[in-house]
This record gives sequence, C-alpha cells and structure tokens, in this order.
Amino acid sequence: MPDAIAPLDQLEVLARSVEHDVLTSPAEVEAYRLRYLSRKQGLITDLLKQIPRVEPDRRREFGAAVNRLKERAEARLAEAEALQTPTLGTAVEIDLTLPGRRPAPGSLHPITQARREIERVFTSFGFTIAEGSEIEDDWHNFTALNFKPDHPARDMQDTFFIEAPTGPGTGVFLRTHTSPVQIRLMENRQPPIRVIIPGRVYRNEAISYKSFCLFHQMEGLVVAEGVNMAELKQVLHAFAVELFGADVRMRFRPSFFPFTEPSAEVDIWWKDDRLPDGGRWLEILGCGMVDPAVLENVGVDSERYTGYAFGMGIERIAMLRFGITDIRVLYENDARFLEQFA
Amino acid sequence: MKISTQWLREYVATTWSAETIAERLTMAGLEVESVEPIGPSFQGIVVGRVLDVKRHPSADRLTVCSVDLGADEPNQIVCGAPNVAPGQLVPVATVGTTLSLPDKANPGSFKELTLTRAKIRGEESNGMICAEDEIGLSDDHSGIMVLGGEATPGEPFTGWMARSGRPTGDSVIDVSITPNRPDAVCHIGIARDVAALAGTSLRHPEVTVPPGPGETAGHVSVSIEAPDGCHRYVGMLIRGVQIDESPAWLKARLEAIGLRPRNNVVDITNYVMFECGQPLHAFDFELLAGSRIVVRRTKTEGPFTTLDGRERRLPAGTLMIADGERDVAIAGIMGGENSEVSEATNEVLIESAWFEPSGIRRTAKALALQTDASYRFERGVDPELQAWAAARAAHLMVELAGGTLVDGLVDERPIRTEPVSLGLRAARIEAVLGAPAPAADVDRLLRAIGFGVVAMPDGWTVSVPSFRPDVSREIDLIEEVARLRGFDAIPEPEATRIPTENYQTPGERHVAERAAEWLAGSGFREIYTNSLMRRDVAEEFRDPVLRAGFAVGDVVETVNPISQEMSVLRPSLLPGALQVLSHNMNHGQPGIRVFEFGTAFDRGHVPGAPVAGYRERTHLLVAISGVADRAHWDHKARNGDLFDIKGTVEALLERLSAGPVRFEPVATPHALLAPHLRVRVGSDLVGVVAPISHALAGRYDLKTGASYAEIDFTAIAAMAVQRGVPRYRDISRFPIVDRDLAFVLDAGQAVGPILEAIREVSGPLLREVDLFDVFRDERLGADRKSVGFSLRFGADRTLRDEEVDQAVGRVVAAVEQRFSAGLRS
Repeated sequence: MPDAIAPLDQLEVLARSVEHDVLTSPAEVEAYRLRYLSRKQGLITDLLKQIPRVEPDRRREFGAAVNRLKERAEARLAEAEALQTPTLGTAVEIDLTLPGRRPAPGSLHPITQARREIERVFTSFGFTIAEGSEIEDDWHNFTALNFKPDHPARDMQDTFFIEAPTGPGTGVFLRTHTSPVQIRLMENRQPPIRVIIPGRVYRNEAISYKSFCLFHQMEGLVVAEGVNMAELKQVLHAFAVELFGADVRMRFRPSFFPFTEPSAEVDIWWKDDRLPDGGRWLEILGCGMVDPAVLENVGVDSERYTGYAFGMGIERIAMLRFGITDIRVLYENDARFLEQFA
Repeated sequence: MKISTQWLREYVATTWSAETIAERLTMAGLEVESVEPIGPSFQGIVVGRVLDVKRHPSADRLTVCSVDLGADEPNQIVCGAPNVAPGQLVPVATVGTTLSLPDKANPGSFKELTLTRAKIRGEESNGMICAEDEIGLSDDHSGIMVLGGEATPGEPFTGWMARSGRPTGDSVIDVSITPNRPDAVCHIGIARDVAALAGTSLRHPEVTVPPGPGETAGHVSVSIEAPDGCHRYVGMLIRGVQIDESPAWLKARLEAIGLRPRNNVVDITNYVMFECGQPLHAFDFELLAGSRIVVRRTKTEGPFTTLDGRERRLPAGTLMIADGERDVAIAGIMGGENSEVSEATNEVLIESAWFEPSGIRRTAKALALQTDASYRFERGVDPELQAWAAARAAHLMVELAGGTLVDGLVDERPIRTEPVSLGLRAARIEAVLGAPAPAADVDRLLRAIGFGVVAMPDGWTVSVPSFRPDVSREIDLIEEVARLRGFDAIPEPEATRIPTENYQTPGERHVAERAAEWLAGSGFREIYTNSLMRRDVAEEFRDPVLRAGFAVGDVVETVNPISQEMSVLRPSLLPGALQVLSHNMNHGQPGIRVFEFGTAFDRGHVPGAPVAGYRERTHLLVAISGVADRAHWDHKARNGDLFDIKGTVEALLERLSAGPVRFEPVATPHALLAPHLRVRVGSDLVGVVAPISHALAGRYDLKTGASYAEIDFTAIAAMAVQRGVPRYRDISRFPIVDRDLAFVLDAGQAVGPILEAIREVSGPLLREVDLFDVFRDERLGADRKSVGFSLRFGADRTLRDEEVDQAVGRVVAAVEQRFSAGLRS
C-alpha cells in the first residue's frame, strides 16, 4: 500500500496542528495525547509504524521528521501538565517575578585571575610551579645571576634594603625579581627543570599610574639537554596565542639581561584604531637563553645543559587583559572595582 | 641616547628613512624609543626665478621684484635684500607658509610669521624671497640665498636641496642603550650596526694621528700615579686658538641631540665624543701649573669646584687630574673651574684618556654626578681610541678655532688591554639557537661589526675589536650573530620535548588555590594590599594576641624607604584589611567581606630559612564589616559579626581537611581586639577569630565595627598536605535516629563546653550534635536561658530504642550535673 505512506508535505500539515492545538484544560490535554500519541490510533504512532516501509533512500529523512514531531508533541504535553500541577503549596497563587535568593557575591582579585590564567597555560605545557621568599640576599638576587659588582645593570634595579651592603656580595633586601627562586631551585636540584615561578617583588620606585612599589612577577625556567632558543620562541608563541588569541602578532627583539644570553624582549601588536598605524607594539615579557655563567654558578654543566628563562609582570598582563590603565586601582580594592572581575 | 640621522649618514650611506633605521636598529638590539623629525621642513618653499627688479617707489632700501614661480603670471614680491638681481634662482616662501624667523630682539630665539598677501609701503607683495637664516639653513642674513645649478621655477625647494647633496629633514632617534653595548654610545657606533644591517660599509673620518711624542713632549709632561684607575692618557696641544661661537653646522648638530653649544673648543670636544664615544676634556693650558698632568687619587676628603661652579665634597681615593700644584679635574667626570677654557684661552690641552669603569661609576654615584663623559667611561671606552680622538679634535680646532697644532702627542700607557681571540663552534650556535647559521652569514656579519674572522674546521676563530670589551665568551659571539640575523630567522619547532622526570608543584599551593576558590564562592572578595606600612602601625599590630598568643619578633624595616608611610614590612595582614574595609564602607558599600593571602614578616630564627634571621609566613585573612545579608522580601538585613567569620573559618578548614577546628575563648580585654577566639587545629594554635575593639573600629572609621580571622596558612597548608587524599568509609545503610534536647540553665553559661560534654558522654553512636536554639524568656526566670541541641545517632545496624535512650540519659545527666541545668519538658 505504498500510496498510504504520507509524503513529507503532509507531515508539515500535521506539524502545524501539533504545534498550535490549544492545551489549556485537562480535557484538552488528554484529547491531544490520544489524537497524536495513543498507542493504537495516534497519528504520530501511526507514522512511526510506517517508517520501515518507506523506500530505503527516503527512509532516514522520513524517520527523522516523524521523530521530531513525536518529541515536540511530548514536550508540549509535559509543559501543559507542569502548568496544571501546582509545585508550591496547593492552589496559592505565587508571584514568580519575585527576585531569587542570591548567594553573596565573591570574587578573585584580577591579579589572581591573570596569574591563574598564565599558570593554566604553562602547566598545560608541562611546567610545574615553584615559589620562594620575599626577603633575599645578594648572592641569590644578583651575584649568582651574573650581575657583576658595580655593573651598570644594577642601576636598573632600585632596591629596598633591609641590611645595607657592607661590601661586595653583601646586603639583605626585598627581592627585585623572582629570579632568586631559579637559583635556589638549581642549587638544590639537577636538571631537567621546567618550572614557572610566581611571586611578589619590590622596586624602590615612585608610585604613579604605571608603577607601584611592589608588583607580581611570573618567571619561567627550563634547563635540560638540548633546550634552545627556537623552543623558547615556540613556547612563548603558544602562550601568546592562549592569552591574546590565535591571530596574535608578536616579535622577539634582542635585548640585554645579565642572566640570559642571547636575551630578548617580546612585543605583541596591540590594535588601537586611534593610532596612525592602527596599533602599536607593546612589550609583554623579557626572555633569553640562561647565561652559561649562571649555570656554572649553581654547579650545572653549561656545556651539557642549556636553558631558557622568561619573566613577565602579572599586573601588566592583567591590565592588558582587562583594560586597566592605572596600576594603583589594583591595590585600592574598591568593591566597585573588584566586582567587575567576579 | 639621541642620534641625529643626518649626522649618522656621514658615516653610513643608506637610503633607509629614519623610521626604517629605527625599526632595523630596534630589531637588532638597539631599541629606539622615539623618532622625531627636527629642523626646517621647507614646507611651502619653492624655487623662483627673479625676472625683473625695480626700485620701490617709496622706499629706498626695498625693491619690487617680478618672480616666476612656475605659474602663468609672475608673482610680485617686495624684497629688502641688497643682492637680489634678475636671473637669479632663489628660495621663495609662498603665501600661507609659516616661517620661523630669528628674533632680532632676542638673539638665539625665533618667532613665527605666517605670510599673507600684503601691501608693503603701498606695493603688493605675494610671498618672500628668503635668506638662509629665514629658512633655518644657517645664521647667514647678509642677503637672499642664490641657488646654483639648475632648477625649475615652482618646484619644491627640497628638490633643489636634494640635488645639491644637502640632505633635508633631519630626525632625532632616541636609542636606549643596554649595558652590554659600550660601543653604541656614539654616532659611529650606531652607524656600524646600520652598515652591517644594510650590507654597506662604514665610513670612518680620515684623521692623521701623530706617530710620536714630537714637540708636544717638550711642553707637557704626563705622569700616571694611579695606573689601576687610568690605563692610558693622551694629550695634544693647540696654540693660538680663538675662542668664539661654533659655526652653525656644528651648533645645529649639538642642538639636534639636545646639547647646548658653548664655544668652539668645548663644542668640538663634545662633537668628537658623540661622534666616536671617547670623552675628551679641554684644559686652558696656560692655567696648568708646571705644564704638568698628574693622574692621582685624593688622600683625604676635600672640596673641589667643578666647572659648573659647584663646590663638591670628594671622598678620599677619588681619581683626579692634577697639574704641578693642585687638582684640575675629577677624572672621567667633570673638569675643574680653575682650568676651564674661557674667552681668554689661548692654548688648549686636549685630554683623551681611558679610565677604569667601576671606579668612575663609584665616584659618579658618590657625587650624584652623572655626565656624558662618566656615562661612557662607566661602560668602557675603546682603549685603542684615545690618540685618534685627540687628533680628530685637534684638527677640528685648527680648522674651526684658528689654532695651530703643536707637533706630536704625549701618550702615557702603563697598562695595555690584550686583544681577545675566541673560538666559535658552528655546532654550538645551533645548540643554543635551535637552528644553524649559514657560515657566510656568520663571517659577513661579524666582519661588518669589526670582528676578525678566520674559518676553522668546526667553526671560526674570532678576534674581538677593542671597542667590544663586553664580548669575552663564545656565547657573546653567538648573541652577536643572532641579533644581526634577527630572531625572526630562528624558526619555531613543530614540537618540543617535555622531560618525563620533573618536579611536582608543592601540594601547599593547591591548598591555597582551593581555599581562595571556596572563599570567593562563599561571598568574599579577594584583596591585595601593600606589604609595606608605617613603623608605628607595624609595632602596634606586632602584638602576640593577634597571633593566638605566639611571640612575634621585631619588625623588619627597610633602610631606604620611599616614605615613612611605607617603611616596614607587615607583621599582620590586619591593618591593610582594615584600610580596605574603611575605604569601602566610606564609599557607599552597605557591607563588605574580604579575604587576602599574603606574607607576614618578622625577625626570628627559623631553621632552614632562606635568609637567616627573618621569618616569612603566608597568612590568610578573612574579614567582614557592615551588612552581611541584605534585606530581601523574605528576611530583614543582618549585620555581619564574629559568627560569620567563625563559621567561615570552621567550614573552610574542614573543607581543606585541616579540621576538626576548635575555638578557645579569650575574654581578657585588649586594645585592638574585643573578647575573641583562638583557633586550634589538632594540638596547634593557628590563628584568631575576633571582633576588633571599639577603639580600633573608631580609628578606622568603621561605624558597624568589623570581625576578622587571621590564620597561619603555612601551617594549615602543611596539615592539609599531610592529611593527603581522603579515605573512603562505608556509608551506613541504616536509619538515623534524631533526638532534640532543651535545657534551662544560667544565662551566663557558655554553650561551647556543653557541646564538648555532650560529645564526650554520648558514646560511639552519636554522629552529630548541633545547637538549634538559644532564647531567654521571663517565664524561664531572670538570668536563665534555654538552649536546644539536636542529636543524631546512627550505626552500621538498626539502632534499638533502648540504646539511644541510654545515650540520651547519659547526656541529660551530665549536662544537668555539670552545668546546673534542668531538662525543659
């Protein structure tokens, strides 16, 4: 009886009535059920039974259409029944527009959020996390990191001293970077090392919209056989893609740090339509190959092992990500600021 | 450091624009911070041909000229120059052009003039025929500028300038010089990199350097008594100089890079310094006693007046230049007033020396006096450059200051720097960079920046030029190759190996992360506060009461604080948090809850401390002030209090598997805290939970007060890690039996001990006990209250009523006896 099989356009007619039949009273609901889904005479049930008899090349399409119809009919029934079953008390009218009870809102500080985001990316690349102390000595903060006594690079670091130096290699101060943790790690472990190091660091600088007397740094250190600058570029590129999107443009610019050689600063292209070039290069981190002198200072064979290191300001990343232009608001902790990063 | 591109082009021929030069230098390690065009732009100035010159009918010194500017009709221009004549090609500023004219009333300054169509003494004038000074080319105002060669009337003046080999449009690029580039602090140094990058050659100025001491040695004697501080001292003598202003080109060069011209002799020493990087000093030779130069150190502290007229206290041991009697200059930093070149100077001694970098650095720092000279000596000048630089300056003085050169030079050189030769392995380049560098590139690039290169079987032997004292190892050469090829030339690998044997992130870190997440989810906002604070505040909050009774060591103070507001490291997170609470409560928040993880510092001896004598612990602070629960349609507003914090701490520590937590009341009054609780985990006191005192709340302007907890999170994290992963226990499949008990007892009786007693006597069947009700009522009697406890019993079997009754009986008996309580029926 092939002519008894409903063509697809008839399904459409049926679909319209499935959708629009009125379902306000219990009687209407029951009638609907019988009309479409009754096991013996339901219109949809009937169509379901026809599926196996449809020509094979149309069967899949027909079957899917019928099943959609069935699901829709069931959904309308469930909806109608729910409306007719009071969920609260009995027949009391409830004002569903009353506001819900919300738990008190809390939030993680934007610096924490940026830190976690950076950690998430690097831990997914097989980095572990290490931390250290904020009070440091000259060896770990400067000397072991190849800062020569009287080297002009020490000018770059304006330091809060706790014990003023009494001669070369002395002095206790607030660490100026998290790099001393690299030294402590390498003094106590053998390669391979693959870590990131977040932490609070201090600079004796005047406080302004762009600098605070302290900030948070994230450093990375990889020391193993066969580590090279190409890998450093790859890891940082992958990082930039994760943080700033797949179309991120970045460049590696040769630079100088006492503890790496070659050294580079990494810029990303920051789009800004107000600028004549449509954007500008923004420095986001410094990096380089660990200077062999640093490896030798901590007893690692610099011929056998090579390493790379990188470091960035977490505040800077947070400010870029969230569009914050004044670093001081991060330390003011105004609730109207914090609630924006819930 | 500022570099004039026009000046730079003296040493390197390149078609690169200033922007391209800046971009290429930046990508080769000399970061350019800005590119600023300077000098005249010649905008609106065109070439004109004078067709006809007539006398002005009503002014003797003016002429009325007809000038072809390439248009159909010639322009009429009134001119005041004596040398204007028909047939001349001249620069013409057209109507609408703004000129920057020398201000005759104020020599050295300029005033702007925008040309309009004007009538001058009744004659129409459209534009201006210009003299050199009027378009900023020189200070020549003797007449209009007459252009040689060919030009088309109406073409831009810049076209003529370019054809005449006079570059237009200077730019100043500001290069930030890293400490490893002592060679790049001058125009020739920068030009060397540009030449290497552009693949062209460096043009070094030709100077004849006297081969020996000659006549000069008979006039000047140099003795170096401190050879450790001065490895070389070269002197040259010029006689009969005329001290005067420098020519315009020289002044323009110095002004372009931000220097103020002084006189020809001083300007020449500066010019040569910024040309080649060798600082020079010019002495008035007739003021040097005994015609002698002695390089020595001061024996005692003493005063010295530098040529800027300031008297400075020099520490003992300062390296000085002296004559036969007295000090005449602070070596490598600044000359003295007593031997300065002045208008009366006739004979000049040029000093060109090599001073030891760290000594210069120490002195400059001690005197807080950094000069262009000290900046270069600190970085290390080329030890082979002194004679060349002195000769270069001497010849310029002959040329520009009318002097005569005294033959020869004195060259005292007690210490020679040995040439450095290094091996460079091709395989090592690849090992460090991750990609091989073509041999031809290595050879070409190193040669281009002055290195000698000899190919060897596995690489090269490289001789380092004297102006690169920073290059002393193979890695330094690899860096040079890498930066000149550009880091872009290093391809990223498709995959990276990750070591299988790695160290683990300390578990303590994960504990802190979970805690932060939970607190944020529980309605607390995370804050970051300054770890530096006022000394008096730190002293006050160093109180052992804030640390559950543990002694706190002395505060840790910085010796060079920015200000007294930030001089000491925090011993507690509380003052910072109170500031945040206060800020928010006074900026319209009805209530605020915060938490912070941060380091607390004190002095003390801790075994294994990274730096002996200092203690750092991570603290967790949780605080609340004002409304904890805002009014809603089904309940009223409620202010936060101690119990919000107490419950939070308890729940948090249990969640971190650092429980069970016990609280011990401390009723003793305290200046900072109201009666409060100490927090005990196991046998360890780990912190406090407290409302702050009224007095403290008043000081921080917290009208509703505040409650907080400060916990030693280092201890908590260690406990949590030690507990490790929770062990699963079978869940009881049998029903729980609930019993509620209410007692009436003395209103002053604390509930905590009763809960303890219930746990103690009810036996192993008790699963939980909680307080569900506390109330007072007249019917209970004055000074009496009712407390209600809910008890839940269970076991791995069905409980019999008698078992539960027995346990409840023990509880009732114990509470009635120990706390004078009566069971409420």
